[in-house]
Amino acid sequence: MRHPSLQRAFGCTVIAVAVLLAVFAPLLAPADPNRSGVDMLDLPSLANLFGTDDLGRDIFSRVMHGAQPSLLIGFGAACVAMLIGVPIGLAGGYMRGRIDLLVVGVIDLFIALPGLILALIITAMVGATLRNLVLVLGFVMWPPVARLVRGQALAVREALFVEAARAVGGSHGWIIRRHVLPNILRVIAAQFAVSVSVAIFTSASLSFLGLGLPPPMPDWGGMVRSGFDYLSINPFMSLAPGAAVTLTVMGFYVVGTSFK
Amino acid sequence: MPQPSLPRRSVLAGATALGLAGTARAQTGSPRKGGALNVGINNDARTFDPIYSVQFSERQVLYLVFNTLVKYGPDFSIQPELADSWNVSPDGKSVTFQLHPGINFQDGTPFDAAVVKWNIDKRLDPATASPQRELLAPVIAAVEATGKLTVVFNLKEPYPGLFSLLGERAGFMVSPTAYEKLGKDFANAPVGTGAFLWKSWVRGSALTLERNPAYWEAGLPYLDSVVFRDLAGAVVGTQRLLTGELDVVMELSPQDIRVIDGKPGIALKPITLGRWYFLQWHVNTPPFDNAKLRQAFAHAIDRQRLNDIVMRGKGTVSDGPTPEGLWWNDPSIKAPAHDPARARALLTEAGYPNGFSFVLSTPQVAAFQQLNQLLQEQLAEAGIKVTLQTVGASEWYGRVVDGTTNLTPTRWVQRPDPDGLMYILFHSKGFANTTKYQNPEVDRLLDTARATYDVDLRKRLYSDAQRLIVADLPVAPLIFGAEYAAMVDKVRDFVWIPDQIPRFRSVWKAA
Repeated sequence: MRHPSLQRAFGCTVIAVAVLLAVFAPLLAPADPNRSGVDMLDLPSLANLFGTDDLGRDIFSRVMHGAQPSLLIGFGAACVAMLIGVPIGLAGGYMRGRIDLLVVGVIDLFIALPGLILALIITAMVGATLRNLVLVLGFVMWPPVARLVRGQALAVREALFVEAARAVGGSHGWIIRRHVLPNILRVIAAQFAVSVSVAIFTSASLSFLGLGLPPPMPDWGGMVRSGFDYLSINPFMSLAPGAAVTLTVMGFYVVGTSFK
Repeated sequence: MPQPSLPRRSVLAGATALGLAGTARAQTGSPRKGGALNVGINNDARTFDPIYSVQFSERQVLYLVFNTLVKYGPDFSIQPELADSWNVSPDGKSVTFQLHPGINFQDGTPFDAAVVKWNIDKRLDPATASPQRELLAPVIAAVEATGKLTVVFNLKEPYPGLFSLLGERAGFMVSPTAYEKLGKDFANAPVGTGAFLWKSWVRGSALTLERNPAYWEAGLPYLDSVVFRDLAGAVVGTQRLLTGELDVVMELSPQDIRVIDGKPGIALKPITLGRWYFLQWHVNTPPFDNAKLRQAFAHAIDRQRLNDIVMRGKGTVSDGPTPEGLWWNDPSIKAPAHDPARARALLTEAGYPNGFSFVLSTPQVAAFQQLNQLLQEQLAEAGIKVTLQTVGASEWYGRVVDGTTNLTPTRWVQRPDPDGLMYILFHSKGFANTTKYQNPEVDRLLDTARATYDVDLRKRLYSDAQRLIVADLPVAPLIFGAEYAAMVDKVRDFVWIPDQIPRFRSVWKAA
C-alpha cells in the first residue's frame, strides 16, 4: 500500500467501521457483552463467532463494544494533546527568542521520558477511569505535537505573506490565527490522526499491564491480557481484541501519515 | 477440666477427617532412587527464614529443607515427625514431647530438646518480631528442656490447637548454630534437618535443592534434586509440562487443566480440601455495620453459579467456614439462599430503597477477577452496584490488613485444627480479623473450644459459633475452590496434604 490514496481508503474504512461500532454496538452486537454463561472458553461457533471467554461471555459482542471506550480514549487524548501541544508549539516557533528556548527545553525534557512509563506511573497514582486515561494520555502525547507545530510555525513565520502582514501592522495573535495556523492545519490534522492511534495503542498497553478501564467494561487491552491465560484453550479471547487494536491503530496511523 | 493423660495421636484422633480417608494409597511399583524433579511454581517468596516466613510459596521450599515437630497426614491428622510421641498432662496445660533420637542438622548440629526450646523462645522473643509470635505468645507460657530428648511446653490454658501450629511455620526447627553464624543471610541459605539441602536461588528463575545424603528418615528422599522453576502463569506451566521441561505444575484452576486433561502421560491430582472463598467487609463502621445490608448482599449472591463458572462446577458451595470432610463441619448450617427479590426487599429495609453502590477491591488474581465480575453481575440484579477496583496482587492483602480495603473477596487454606481459622478470623482478638467482627458470644465459644481437648464438646461449640457467624455475616461465604497439581506420570507417590503444600520427600521418578 505505497499509494497514499489506497492507504487513505483502507484507513478511512477501518475508521468508519470503528466509529460505527462505537456508536451502534448495542444495536449491532448479537449478545449482551457482560452476560456470563456456563459455557466457558468455547471455540468459535455460529452462536459465538469468536467463541466465549473465561466467564462464558460472547467475545464477538465484547470486541464490538470495546470500540467505544477505545475511540473515546483515542479521540479524547488526541484532543488534549492538541490543546496543550499546538499553542505551546506556536508560541515557541512564532515568537522565537527566549520563549522558544524555554519551549524547546520543556519539549526535550518531556520527550526524554518514555511515554508509556510516564503514563503507567501517573495512571497508577490517579487510578484508571475513562476521564483519567484521556487526560494522562493527552498529557503524555503533547510534546511531539508541540515540536512538530513549532517547526512548522518556524518555517511559516519567515514566509513573505507573514512579513507582509507584520508590515501592515497585524498583531501577533491576529497573524497566528489568520496566517500561521491555517497554513499548518493540514499537518496538525495528520498529527491528530497519528495521536489517536498512539493513544489507543498506549491505552491498550496500559490495560494489558493491568492499568486499564475497570472490568467488566469491554476494553481491548484488558481482554488481550485476560485471554493470555487461556491462549491454548480459546486463542480468540486474546487474538480478536488484539486484531481490533491493531486494525484501528493502523487505520488512524495510515490516514495520518498519508496526509503528511 | 478433667483430663486423662493422653497418648500421642489420641489427642486429635477425632480430628481425622471423615471424607479424606484413602487418599494416601500408594501407586504401584517400588521406589527408584535418583533423578531431578522440576516443579513450576508462582514464586513470590521474600524470605526462607521460617521464623519470618509468611508467603505460601515459601513453605513449598521450607517443608523440604526443614522438618516440623509434628506433621500433618493426608487426612489432616497429626502424626509424629521430629517428635516421636507426646503426652498431655491431666490439667491439659503441659505437653511433653519425646524427640526422635540421633537427628543432626544439615550443618552437623545435633537436634535435641535444647534446640526446640531455642526455636520456640526465639519466636516468642518480642525483639525477634516474628509474625508467629501472635499465635504462640497467647498460649505458651514457657518451653523447658527436661532431658536431652524431652521437651515440655507449658501452656497458659489447655490448647489442643498447639499441634496444628507445630506442624507448620512455628514448628520448623532451624539450626541455632547456623542461625547465629549466618544472621540475616540465613534467609538465603537456610539450614534445617530436612530431606533436601539448600543449593541455590536465582531470583525470578529457579531455586535448587539437593538430596541430603545424611537424612535421618531411612531410605529417604528418593530424588537427587528438586528444582522450583518460576512460572509466568498457568498457560506457560501447562505447556512446559507437555514439552517435558517440567515434571510438576501446581495451583492450576479447573480452567487451566482443560489443555492437559486426558492427555496421555499426564496425571492430575485435585486438592483434597478447597480453599475457602468469601466476601468480606468492615462490620464495625457504616455502611456495612448495617446487618440488613449484609443480608441483602448474601441473598443477592448465587454461589452455585460462582462455582459453576469460576470452578467449572468442580468446587463446592460454601455455607460457612468449614467444608465437608473436616470434623467441625456442620451440614445443618446454611448461608442465606440466592433470592434477588428478598435481597431487594432487605436493601429497602436497610435504608437503600434506590439501590446501593460501593467499590469492590479486585486483586489481580484470575479467580478473584472472575468472581468479582460475576458478583458485580449478580449484585446488580438486586440493585447493588459495585465498581471493580483493580489492585496489584502483592499490595492487596496489605491493604486488607491495614484497613484501606473494605469490600473484597478473600481466600484461606484450611487448617488441621478449627482454632486455626476460626480464631484468627472471627475472634475479636484474632490477628487476621480484618472485618473487625466482635460478638462476645462467639468470642466465648471460641475461647472455650480452644481450651478443651474434648472433641465432642469442641464440635458442639464450633457448630454454635459457626451458626452465629453465618447469621451475623461478618463475611459472606462464597465457595470452596478446586485446584490441581498436574504431573508427568513418571512422578510417583505424590500425595496431597490438605494444606495444599506438596511434600516431595517420598516422591520418586520412574525410569
